[in-house]
Amino acid sequence: MAEQLEQHESLALMHQMGLNSGAIDRRKQIVGLTPADVTRIATIKDVVLPRVDSIAAAFFNHLARLDEARSLLENRALFEKAKRLKVDHLHGLVSGDYGADYVEQRIELGLLYAAAGLDTRVFLGAFLELLKHMGTQIMAQADSAPLDAFEAFMSLKKVAFFDLGLIVDVLVFERERIIRQQQEAIRELSTPVLQLRNRLLLLPIIGVIDTHRARLITESLLEAIRTNRAKVVVMDITGVATIDSRVANHILQTVTAARLMGARVIVTGISAPVAQSLVSLGIELGGLDTVGDLRGGIEQAERNLGYRVVQSAAADTRDDAAS
Amino acid sequence: MSVPILKQGDVLIASIQSALSDQDLIQLREDFAAKIGQFRTRGVLIDVTALDVLDSFATRTLRGIAYVAKLRGATAVVVGIQPEVAFAMVQLGLALDGVATALDLEEGLDYLKKAVNRSPGHGG
Repeated sequence: MAEQLEQHESLALMHQMGLNSGAIDRRKQIVGLTPADVTRIATIKDVVLPRVDSIAAAFFNHLARLDEARSLLENRALFEKAKRLKVDHLHGLVSGDYGADYVEQRIELGLLYAAAGLDTRVFLGAFLELLKHMGTQIMAQADSAPLDAFEAFMSLKKVAFFDLGLIVDVLVFERERIIRQQQEAIRELSTPVLQLRNRLLLLPIIGVIDTHRARLITESLLEAIRTNRAKVVVMDITGVATIDSRVANHILQTVTAARLMGARVIVTGISAPVAQSLVSLGIELGGLDTVGDLRGGIEQAERNLGYRVVQSAAADTRDDAAS
Repeated sequence: MSVPILKQGDVLIASIQSALSDQDLIQLREDFAAKIGQFRTRGVLIDVTALDVLDSFATRTLRGIAYVAKLRGATAVVVGIQPEVAFAMVQLGLALDGVATALDLEEGLDYLKKAVNRSPGHGG
């Protein structure tokens, strides 16, 4: 069951990274892997296969000497699995078949390294050790034709670098995945649409508005207008540090879209510097309902909706006097 | 497919149920122009809830209907533009300038009631 799940994971990642047959072929072209190489690799297959365990040991022994690899070595389950996959890898390396299945196995191993927190530089060191060990073995067995053996080893190295490209890409992709997730989280957190009163929404915008975010803001606002049957929206842009023509255009589009759904948008919180720069840039926001600050905007919205906020007699005006 | 125009008090209601050809849209505008005078209508409501796209011609015709209504002494409101449609329209730069909009039929009728009370219209 767990095996199946992991296989599913590596397949999914392969898809995400766009590793279709075209991309795999392209990667082979990049390292210069040709059918001639496959033929040459076949000649050293019998040298490599009996020594698979010792070659794999070279890789893991090198890791064992490095503090940076401790996270992998100390995780018993992952370590055992890595050993097993590495032996599979060496079998695959001389098999001559480097298609989608082979790539998927590489991805699986890459995912394991990523999960164990193995850094690219540490992996590269161990991989070089593996190649060195393998090369030494191949050359040692080639008494009669050292040049042929060397060429065969170079062909094998092409496959090895093909693998390297995949593993490094997986490691980078996995690291970037965290960044992508965080960006997504920030985006979602930063576009809340709040219901302030019946039929009155508040849309506070903080930070930078780019095209992607403007789209998200607009979409969530329009959905909220529909679900809350909102008539007035107060959009507060106090937290938007700079407004250039692009940002102004985004704001205008959001306001227009809301209007198409029958909601009126009041824009508040245009600070003095922002207002000055809008004027000097010649950006026209005159068509918008603008109110100086959020408080004023909410008061205006309440008037539009027919609310009258009355201070009860019990609470006196001490709060105001204090502030 | 022509769109039936329903009379409810002094409001005319047309609910567009499927995508209309340009010819149908022009027909709708002509029907409105005629009926507003015939029924001494004060308000016009066009419901587009069922539409999943509003192109530039449809937008222009809606504006045309609103303008015709205004010239004939009535107020027009377009209701039921879906979020996706609104977003697409904005992306295409179709803003329905000068046309009142409301969330749905209920809101639209409410808007017309208030607008009719404010404007002199046909009087009486």
